[in-house]
Amino acid sequence: MTNPNKKPQALYLHVPFCRSICYYCDFVHRPYQQEAADRWLDALEYEISKKKINPDLRTVYIGGGTPTSLNEEQLARMLSLLDPCTEKAEEYTCEINPETLTAAKAELLALHGVNRASIGFQTGSDRLLKMMGRHHTAEDVKTAMELLKEAGIGNISLDLMYSLPGQTMADLKEAAEYAVSLEPKHLSLYSLTIEENTVFAKKGYRPLDEDTEADMYEYICSTLPEKGFRQYEISNFARPGYESKHNLVYWHYEDFYGLSAGASGKENHCRYDNVRSLPAYLKDPLQKEIISLGREDEMFETVMMGLRLKEGMSLSSFEERFSVSFEEAFGEKAEKLLIEGKLEIAGNQIKCADAYYHLLNSVLEELL
Amino acid sequence: MDQKYIRNFCIIAHIDHGKSTLADRILEMTDTVKERDMKTQLLDDMELERERGITIKLNAVQLSYHAKDGHEYLFNLIDTPGHVDFSYEVSRSLAACEGAILVVDSTQGVQAQTLANTYLALDNDLEILPVINKVDMNNSQPDHTKKEIEDIIGLDCSDAPLISARTGLNVDQVLEQIVTHIPAPKGDVNAPLQALVFDSFYDPYRGVIALVRVREGKLKIGDRIRFMATGAEYEVLETGIRNPREVRVDGLSAGDVGWFAASIKSIKHVQVGDTVTTVANPASRPLEGYRKMNPMVYCGLYPSDAARYEDLHDALDKLQLNDASLQYEPETSQALGFGFRCGFLGLLHMDVIQERLEREYNLDLICTAPSVIYHVYLSDGSMIAIDNPAKMPDASRIDHVEEPYVKASIMVPDSYIGAVMELCQNKRGIYQTMEVIEAGRNTIVYELPLSEIIYDFFDRLKSCSKGYASLDYELIGYRKEDLVRMDILLNGEQVDALSVIVHRSNAYKRGSGITIRLKELIPKQQFEIPVQAAVGGKVIARTNIKSLRKNVLAKCYGGDISRKKKLLEKQKEGKKRMKEVGSVVIPQEAFMSVLSRDDEPK
Repeated sequence: MTNPNKKPQALYLHVPFCRSICYYCDFVHRPYQQEAADRWLDALEYEISKKKINPDLRTVYIGGGTPTSLNEEQLARMLSLLDPCTEKAEEYTCEINPETLTAAKAELLALHGVNRASIGFQTGSDRLLKMMGRHHTAEDVKTAMELLKEAGIGNISLDLMYSLPGQTMADLKEAAEYAVSLEPKHLSLYSLTIEENTVFAKKGYRPLDEDTEADMYEYICSTLPEKGFRQYEISNFARPGYESKHNLVYWHYEDFYGLSAGASGKENHCRYDNVRSLPAYLKDPLQKEIISLGREDEMFETVMMGLRLKEGMSLSSFEERFSVSFEEAFGEKAEKLLIEGKLEIAGNQIKCADAYYHLLNSVLEELL
Repeated sequence: MDQKYIRNFCIIAHIDHGKSTLADRILEMTDTVKERDMKTQLLDDMELERERGITIKLNAVQLSYHAKDGHEYLFNLIDTPGHVDFSYEVSRSLAACEGAILVVDSTQGVQAQTLANTYLALDNDLEILPVINKVDMNNSQPDHTKKEIEDIIGLDCSDAPLISARTGLNVDQVLEQIVTHIPAPKGDVNAPLQALVFDSFYDPYRGVIALVRVREGKLKIGDRIRFMATGAEYEVLETGIRNPREVRVDGLSAGDVGWFAASIKSIKHVQVGDTVTTVANPASRPLEGYRKMNPMVYCGLYPSDAARYEDLHDALDKLQLNDASLQYEPETSQALGFGFRCGFLGLLHMDVIQERLEREYNLDLICTAPSVIYHVYLSDGSMIAIDNPAKMPDASRIDHVEEPYVKASIMVPDSYIGAVMELCQNKRGIYQTMEVIEAGRNTIVYELPLSEIIYDFFDRLKSCSKGYASLDYELIGYRKEDLVRMDILLNGEQVDALSVIVHRSNAYKRGSGITIRLKELIPKQQFEIPVQAAVGGKVIARTNIKSLRKNVLAKCYGGDISRKKKLLEKQKEGKKRMKEVGSVVIPQEAFMSVLSRDDEPK
């Protein structure tokens, strides 16, 4: 698995522009302006030129913001900048906003090797979409999927949100059924967390009560597998073989590059957060905050990420990476959790027991 | 200095009437304190005192004043607290003085503590100087206030200075009156030493420092002295005064107020109220101490971290040194482990001690709900005093139970009489009398169980009267009541630290209130937790804390791992201040929750 001397095999690129602001979003984003986006591309070109990126990347993920908020020319330029290192990518994902995708943009993406799309579906109800500040309808998602499939991108994931203010169980069922009927390969379902500095927080919105949220999560975790989507992570479901390879890099706690304002990366026992403000990025695209990760940090974080996977974490990889076994590293704390049956070992994997999977935070706290 | 040029006095007042502000002006106007050294409320040393704007500890400073008669006078000013809980401190400072300045806020007039403190001063034969404060305020009624003092207390106010302690207006008149009205100390410099210890504190380098008022004789460096009550003997190493910084002097003589250090390592040897004399020429008998106050309120204090039990012990020892009213003894709780049952003068006192322990000694404490002392008469005719509800014996062994009652005098304007009476009735009060003090103002007297007023009575009184009502109370003895112990069970296990003694007629209501409150306070855990209230083994109220159903982070990818990890760390940190009792994690506040009532707004 991870070889510390090896260059990262994954790359994340953050596009910090949006055509409009979603009320729940706290990622780095700015309203799209053509000129600002041009200058951003100049900065990105500079950043890439200074970074000796592994030409043999295995996975690439373009997120945002809204990558498709760029115009066609800009989208082409951005993809070209990545071309030298994406040739061998097994999985090359781009986030798609249904309202800003055109046939031409879909073709461009495919031309440059993008073979997976992640669409912000959010919810099936146009009423709730409007409440969230989204400017598309449920129907637009269907259209976007058709455009992508025509361009040859059939591996499509849909992002859904639940526990939205005013959302009912019936709304969620309708959204899930509609999403499934669109036949994506992958589904991510996130319960809404209202972060500071979001429009929701400023408007004083609150998520649903804990019980309804838990009911919704239970419904999701029991229904989607019946429809052929296996749960492989807390919030992620996939048709067999369509698990996100890029996101598995995070959960396996492997290294990855982070490009552009607001992106994070992890290389060589350091995590870095690129500068968040766009003007600052344009001025100096190499500005970042670096957090060096100690052995203890890395051990805990490996577990924190690994246990998010339904199959759990590989014990041999842990031992290989840290030269100490999981049980030795976490001593009594681990023993207690194993005796209580909150953690389980099966072969080479340690996992959070199914009965406690939805309480993972409580389990992790005990390991801190 | 010749005794006739010494004046020892204190300032007494109802809380917030301007006592400490006047002390500050006096300090300034006697040139003792340079303006640049001036912090507001100079005598309120403790961080806590400044923050809360109250005086908790008494403080003594020496000032020199050049009077109009051309002589230089030495003033010893002793600041006193104004809150009802600390009347004990007041009585200590009074014992060291010949006179008292009575400050009355002319926007509020005579209040309950104005009366209580004046009576204390009169009991100590002090000369009282009335001073009318806050005359610069728009709503000041100086003539009215003077008349009130004359009518209610019976002090002549024809001479009383009309001052503003805030601006310094007419404070010079107060200084002159100290010289002319307050008597000089009497006492024979050549008699055997008799010095009253009125306070003490611990200095890590010099041991216990004793604050004394020398009544007779002299106290000098090198003297071998004896504490007459404890018998401990020491050699005096330093003597001094405060101005308000410590200043060393060669010795203290009859009439003086000051401090001495003698490398006293044992806290137990110095008792406030004891008399110091010399070994070589001892006094034949000690001075009369002063009215010692007994704690009225008890609670259990436990370190959150059991390993810090000894640290807590040590901290209590040191705090008791300058707060003799604090009492404590070790106790054990099944739920909380090893700790102390502590006695306090009142709730504010309890609060202050807890906060000082946490701040000054860096301790994390769990505090059980305060309780009074119940007298439990057993079937065999014997009586036991119970200061911890968990120790109440089984009902089958009890003949009857008595609880302490107080006589509460509440001063209140006409418009709030109804609200105040309703409050007292809700607290099982028995109406006694109502007197009109003057047009529009009344004193209502109620007899109330002490247990009903120790918690939030004062706050409620203030809020139901928009701050206009004031309270004084005194213990009047024990009365038989139908009292029962109510136990709280979490997940089927009785938690001793949550037991409470209630009146049988209120048991059901209190039980439901407490269980509901606990349900709100105890975080959901991975299993369902039944919360029950039981009297004599019979469950009278119950609710359930539902199990935690979902506790995961929705999103966790590459970017925000550090932030997510911090979130987990924060959650875990929060639990550190909770106590694991059996299988249930209980937050600190839960132990106090047994006091909130369901019949009152939270």
